[in-house]
Amino acid sequence: MKIAVCFKTIPEYDMLSSHDWKVDDQNFVDIRYVKQVFNCFDESALEIALKISVQQQGVNNPVESTALTIDNQGADLFLKHLLALQYDKAVRIACQNDLDLRFNALSVSELISAYVKQMGQQLVITGAHGGVGDNRQTGLLVAEHLRWPCISDVIDVNLSGYLDHLRVTSYKKGAFLSQTITLPVVLVIGNAPDSPCLRVPTLKQKLGAKTKKIAVFTQADLGMDSNALTLKDKAFEGFWQEKSDQNCDFISAKSAREKAQFLYDQYLKQRLPG
Amino acid sequence: MALNKETIVDQLKKIVGSEQVITDEQVLKENSHDRYRKFETLFGIYSLPIPAAVVQLKNTGQVADVLKFLNANKINCVPRTGGSATEGGLETIVENSVVLDGSNMNQIVKIDPYNMLATAQCGVILETLEDQLREQGYTMGHSPQSKPLAQMGGLVATRSIGQFSTLYGGIEDMVIGLEAVFPNGEITRIKNVPRRSCGPDIRHVIIGNEGALCYITEVTVKIYKYEPENNQFHAFSIDHMKTGFEILRDVMTSGYRPSIARLYDAQDGAQHGFNQFADGKCVLIFMAEGPARIAKAISDGIEDIVGQDPACNKIDTRVIENWFNHLNWGPEKIVQERELILKTLNMGFTTEISANWDSINMIYENAIKRIRKDFPHIDDLTMLGGHSSHSYQTGTNMYFVYDYNVLDCKPEEEINKYHIPINALIVEETLKAGGSMVHHHGIGKYRTPWTKQEHGSAYYILKGLKDVFDPNGIMNTGTIFPVE
Repeated sequence: MKIAVCFKTIPEYDMLSSHDWKVDDQNFVDIRYVKQVFNCFDESALEIALKISVQQQGVNNPVESTALTIDNQGADLFLKHLLALQYDKAVRIACQNDLDLRFNALSVSELISAYVKQMGQQLVITGAHGGVGDNRQTGLLVAEHLRWPCISDVIDVNLSGYLDHLRVTSYKKGAFLSQTITLPVVLVIGNAPDSPCLRVPTLKQKLGAKTKKIAVFTQADLGMDSNALTLKDKAFEGFWQEKSDQNCDFISAKSAREKAQFLYDQYLKQRLPG
Repeated sequence: MALNKETIVDQLKKIVGSEQVITDEQVLKENSHDRYRKFETLFGIYSLPIPAAVVQLKNTGQVADVLKFLNANKINCVPRTGGSATEGGLETIVENSVVLDGSNMNQIVKIDPYNMLATAQCGVILETLEDQLREQGYTMGHSPQSKPLAQMGGLVATRSIGQFSTLYGGIEDMVIGLEAVFPNGEITRIKNVPRRSCGPDIRHVIIGNEGALCYITEVTVKIYKYEPENNQFHAFSIDHMKTGFEILRDVMTSGYRPSIARLYDAQDGAQHGFNQFADGKCVLIFMAEGPARIAKAISDGIEDIVGQDPACNKIDTRVIENWFNHLNWGPEKIVQERELILKTLNMGFTTEISANWDSINMIYENAIKRIRKDFPHIDDLTMLGGHSSHSYQTGTNMYFVYDYNVLDCKPEEEINKYHIPINALIVEETLKAGGSMVHHHGIGKYRTPWTKQEHGSAYYILKGLKDVFDPNGIMNTGTIFPVE
């Protein structure tokens, strides 16, 4: 089974304050000085694929896992990290025409599906969305390009015991849905309280990954014209910050019970439906 | 004859009132440990004896009354405030111990800007005091990562240190006066004067006693003008820790006093994301502060010293400023850490030591080598490195950081399989080279096997304090002093 997990890194937004959001003429916020981290949904996707790889060990039809990102060289640290975690391949697609891929799910999905068609993966896993370009479309569009089925809001994946079948659990509107599906498929990892976190590579694994290579693909390598991708699905008009005035009142009372009663009487009661 | 649990609880209720004596099982369990056993407790395992009661103290008189009772009946107690200790100092290793919780003694007694003093009860959270000081344009200059959690009593009891120590010093440099209660109920106050020559400095009997000699009820510290607008950050990448130690030494011995002077090795730096800006490099960080002209002079001095080394490359200071502004640990980070550990079974701990300039790099290299060579579960380690974060005229500290995946053992076996043996290797290498085995966490209960070696012939003085002030051995048994 060949798996491609698509991920991106994002700035650690918790490290930003509102005064850091200074939008320039090109609608960019300079956050080059902020540490990048795995997008949390993608992190769960990456861990789920590792789990499937471990489950498949010793079974015929071994898993070949590929970590795939579309980014500049800065992402190589993360790809090395994934190689240390025993991803078989680490692939970076370097977009050459300086196209702004933020909010451009169409182009991103075209690149991913071109790679998957060329390499013959049967399972593509993506995160639901990232912080920047929060469009929730990439996984769905990849499925459309590949003409594969797509399951969204996935929270867990396991081998089903049958060749080229998986047991997929998704969580929608408070209900869990488990289904056995046939490959190929695109799975979009959603939110769940127990979303898996990426395991941590050992020193030995990190050392071993140092000599492993990252494959870098251009649009031409994927058989695409370098000008094929454009900002064709939507125009990006700008950033603005929603402002809301908030007050903070401290409630003083003798006990937690009195505080709760005061909160209810003064602030909550009138908001509740009659 | 030793009192049983029920009698202890009844007597305590008579002394302070029943509402202040807590016997809820979960509260007792949570008070039987500190962050040293964070792994097993995440799984609901509390392998130490749970205390007979937690007494929530309201004032110094109650502390004295409770201590008198415990002392008369030879009942072990564990003084506790914020609970952010990391070295087992808050563990209740004796059956039917009583935890003396001072976190409700949380009044800021006085802020005296003319004499530059602030007085707070033991249960005042450091961040609360610091926020009030800053509102008035002052700072204590004490900023450990635990600032949102740690309380004044515990900070003084463990000789804590903060991130601005190179300028402001450790807590021992800040404390002017104290109130403490000894096991026999004696209430002692050390007055607030700038300096005196009236015998030994008795503040140091209390500062760093880790609850093993007395109970700290009130602390007076010096304060400074707060002028963050003058802060200047500097950050550089370098190839080797040895070079970094040399630069730190040059800065310190040339008379400059940046508030922050830190040196990260590449491994530890990567944990903080520094590898995204200087991959594979060590990172040096400075912050100059104070009046504008002093901050500028320090900044210029640092730039001059670092500029002489062609191997040093500047890093965007915004990287460091942004990172530094988010370094502290509040309750939300504790919750995040717990969730992450449960999901990944990846644990992290530290061992902090200090040494003179001529041996610090050797200790750093030898300890890392020793762990790689002698630690039997090296394959489970996910990170091994460290940083220096507190420098002095004569030397610096080294904060060893080690993370590991907990594999093939029960949660309660984790500390014996990983933490204790790694800690031991670092302590051994440090003492071998003449350094100190503990820089600022306190000895707690897990470095006591080396207390005598640490102090050498001066252990006579340390032991004398215990013999004189706690002859019945009721104060935090097993902390600082090994159980014999």
